Amino acid sequence: MTLKAKQYIIGLLGMTFLGSLVFVQWMEVARKQAEVGKASGHVPIPARSRTCIECHGKQSPGIVDHWKGSTHAEKGVGCVECHLADKGDVDGFSHYGEFIATVVTPRDCSKCHEKEFNEFEHSHHARAGNILASLDNFLAETVEGSRVPFNPHSPTPGKSVDMVNGMASAVVGCQQCHGGKVGLRTKDGGMATVDDFAPGPDGKPTKLALVDQLVRNDEGKPQFHADTWPNTGIGRINLDGSLGSCSACHSRHDFSPRRARQPENCGKCHLGPDHPQKEIYEESKHGVAFRDLLQHMNLDSRKWVLGVDYSQAPTCATCHMSAHSKNNGKVTHNPGERISWTNRPPISAVLDTDAEGKLVTATDPEERRMLTTFSAVEKRNNMKQVCLHCHTPDYVNGFYQQYDDFVALYNEKFGKPGQAIMTALKSNGLLTKQDFDEEIEWTWFYLWHHEGRRARHGASMMAPDYAHWHGMFEVAERFYMQLIPQARELTRHAETDGNPDAAKAVNAVIDEILARPEHDWSEIRHKGAK
Amino acid sequence: MNAIRQWFGERLPISPDQVLEVLDEPVPNHLKRWWFCLGGTPAYLFVVQIFTGILLAFYYQPAQTTAYESVRFITTEAAYGWYFRGVHKWAATLMIASVVLHQMRVYFTGAYRKPRELNWMIGMCLLLCTLVIGFTGYSLVYEQLSYWGATVAANICDTVPVVGGLAKRMLLAGDAYNTETVSRFFILHAAVLPASMIFLLAIHIGLIRMQGITEFRFEDEPVQDKQHFPFFPDHFYTELIMGLVLMILLSVLATVLPVTMGPRADPLVTPDVIKPEWFFYATFRWLKLFSGTFAVLSMGLIVFIMFVWPFIDGWIRRYTRFAEASVWIGIVGASLIIGLTVWEAAVQH
Amino acid sequence: MNSSERAAAGDSTTGTAAGDRRSFFSLVAMGLGLTGAYGTFAAMAARFLYPAKPPDRRWMYVASVTEFAHGGGVLFSAPNGQAISVTRLTANGTVEDFIALSSICPHLGCKVHWETQNKRFFCPCHNGAFNVEGISTAGPPFDAKQNLARFPLKVENGNLFIEVAVA
Repeated sequence: MTLKAKQYIIGLLGMTFLGSLVFVQWMEVARKQAEVGKASGHVPIPARSRTCIECHGKQSPGIVDHWKGSTHAEKGVGCVECHLADKGDVDGFSHYGEFIATVVTPRDCSKCHEKEFNEFEHSHHARAGNILASLDNFLAETVEGSRVPFNPHSPTPGKSVDMVNGMASAVVGCQQCHGGKVGLRTKDGGMATVDDFAPGPDGKPTKLALVDQLVRNDEGKPQFHADTWPNTGIGRINLDGSLGSCSACHSRHDFSPRRARQPENCGKCHLGPDHPQKEIYEESKHGVAFRDLLQHMNLDSRKWVLGVDYSQAPTCATCHMSAHSKNNGKVTHNPGERISWTNRPPISAVLDTDAEGKLVTATDPEERRMLTTFSAVEKRNNMKQVCLHCHTPDYVNGFYQQYDDFVALYNEKFGKPGQAIMTALKSNGLLTKQDFDEEIEWTWFYLWHHEGRRARHGASMMAPDYAHWHGMFEVAERFYMQLIPQARELTRHAETDGNPDAAKAVNAVIDEILARPEHDWSEIRHKGAK
Repeated sequence: MNAIRQWFGERLPISPDQVLEVLDEPVPNHLKRWWFCLGGTPAYLFVVQIFTGILLAFYYQPAQTTAYESVRFITTEAAYGWYFRGVHKWAATLMIASVVLHQMRVYFTGAYRKPRELNWMIGMCLLLCTLVIGFTGYSLVYEQLSYWGATVAANICDTVPVVGGLAKRMLLAGDAYNTETVSRFFILHAAVLPASMIFLLAIHIGLIRMQGITEFRFEDEPVQDKQHFPFFPDHFYTELIMGLVLMILLSVLATVLPVTMGPRADPLVTPDVIKPEWFFYATFRWLKLFSGTFAVLSMGLIVFIMFVWPFIDGWIRRYTRFAEASVWIGIVGASLIIGLTVWEAAVQH
Repeated sequence: MNSSERAAAGDSTTGTAAGDRRSFFSLVAMGLGLTGAYGTFAAMAARFLYPAKPPDRRWMYVASVTEFAHGGGVLFSAPNGQAISVTRLTANGTVEDFIALSSICPHLGCKVHWETQNKRFFCPCHNGAFNVEGISTAGPPFDAKQNLARFPLKVENGNLFIEVAVA
């Protein structure tokens, strides 16, 4: 090979080598760009939480991983910032150098999220724990279970069951959504709750008698009563007197707002035969649109304002809580601010509320006007502002007319009459004092608590099937084929059992109802009266 | 130009012409064939390793607690860090491969025969240094296989009678892998072995220059008047071309088959499969086939035979009629090594 | 080697004008190839060695504004281990009420501490001193007109945030 040839080859190979280096540089640029685009894996760990992360990163790595993906982590809010307990807190204990508590209550969150805390504490969500004194509770605690432990029926192979915890259905069912009352175990086998510690407005206990009686582990950590923890029910009654649990919607430890914007989040509790909001939403056009356009919903955006960041479809949060372009991008943690009917009771009520946020029940219009500080009309207008993003005023008003008509239909044809019949039976002594021990009590419960309620919910959120077939159809069937005949049966028994006055009184009520034109369609009033 | 010559001439006792004459060795014609450049290849790659190794040493931290993290920094964060680490890793593989090929070429062309036995032995030393520098290099990454490979290798040393324990303790800076071990490997890899290799290489090339390159003539080559061609610029250009081809190959390999990070070393968790780097597969398989002491001693014997092969070959040629025995023995030996390597590569355990 | 030897080695074009031109071009081609390629390689090596850009800075949560009484402060531990003293100097309800001062002396890097009785930051290495706003008042820092480094602060939703380097 000649020298010249070699020189040209060297030149050519040099250029090829140079080309390969250019390619290397291209890869380097791409790598740097990808690195910038990626969320920095490097989360600054606040100094005080470093010990926590070191240990819990190995013991419960999921907790640390979730936290690392949160906005808290980005801003340097670590473990201690939330879990720190004050010296007076009853559930506090010393753990590797810090005095902490397991349960982070809304009061703890309010240190930084005061606005949300105030809105939430005034909402109906925070009062969900009131179920503990309701009819539903009676069902779970007594009908399905037992308020005191009872002996097992027979031995269970492979497990020693000493006593049966009759509260289990309430604990695992009702209280997991509605919230239980957080209790610490006491040495006598019982538990101490907020009622025993009577915390003041600052969350500190005023009655300290039971603090010495708390069962503690080797570390000094007070032990929770298993019936009350774990529990992230939205109306949980905490030891510091605050109500609720922020992690009910903003699951820990990433506290993702993205998740809270999606219907599945609310659907953990707002579903089922008695309030199938999730199923109703999925049936409705809103839900259909959401499912289809999920990727375009901009769920990760910081502010998530309807009409600005997204407009494809509304979710639960959109209508009931989220910020939109017509209210200056203001989020509310009180969904009650936009609801005009309360469909929870047997008979729907207009949601005029007083200064304390309680329902105004006065019948006199003048009295109502005086007591009402936040009227149902105002609430409805708040909701309409959301609707108007995608619907015109005639459309919106027309819908509300349809909705109002439906609620009125239910109320007047079935709700009030049913209530009247049950009241008549009770007041005339034809029902025992005990709830749910007679068939008609279950019938009535199904009618208003399940079928009637879901009919009204179906109407409120544009789900025709739930309004009609799953709703009013079943209400009507229940009313005509079960409630009325069962009531008539009771009066018949009353007559034969020597209580003709009671029978007459109740029959009068039933007759009066069935004589009305809306019930005149059938022969039903003629039956049973004989 | 002349003024510069004069300036140096007044200060140094040698003239430029003398220097040029030393460097400009006559190169036998057979070196116009490319496969005879296998000697220059590992030498060039050695220079590449020194250059990239120095670059890496700016960021590498030779301490047990920070080694892995510093390698991760180089691989994922430093500008072109992945590239230089990749070139360093691939150049190591190519260097070892080309050293072995070079040795095989020298062996099969009988270039080790008298008077070149000394250079063969220097070359064997260089081979061993290259293998150990490859091994110590990989141990510095402090991945699982780094840690456990070093532990296993030290334990194998231990089975050598008499000196084994001492060797192991010197290697690990203790009876087991400890906080001093990584720093020790680093000094071996980045200072002791490179310096030794430079020294040996100088002697190796010096001996070649002094003795001249073994003359060959291929059968199909016509007899020419000129049996040699000049080093400058002819062979030098050949070497430049080799160098550029190698650089391109390295760049492509570093980009297409980039180097990654394995899991961090965990003294408490032994991986299911511990394997050394590919260049130790043959020895690893040999050790697994035979029990500890026998395997180590037999390997030592084989290495010794390789060392003194020129003399054994000389004895065979003088006292037996098997003049080309070395070729056949070489074929058997090479097949054995390749076979063992492939076997180890193919099986999981 | 000279051109006659080169001719003997089989290169028949030397000596002619065209030959010299061609050998010039091949020489240039070789030179460009080599310097371009190895030069770029060296440039990449230099870029590799150039120290990385300073670390990211992030806003980190310090405390709720209500936790600072007038004149009160907290010691914030930055991710790189530095202790930063964050104090409330005035009570005007703005972020300017607060000051975040580094505890590293600008003279030679020793750690300063707050002396309550003397109302100053004091550096024990060479007796440097700083007032409550971090301005040097005595010692080598005063002579060199160096003050304690200040960190940016902001207030968001009633919470105080500080901007520090992420380790």
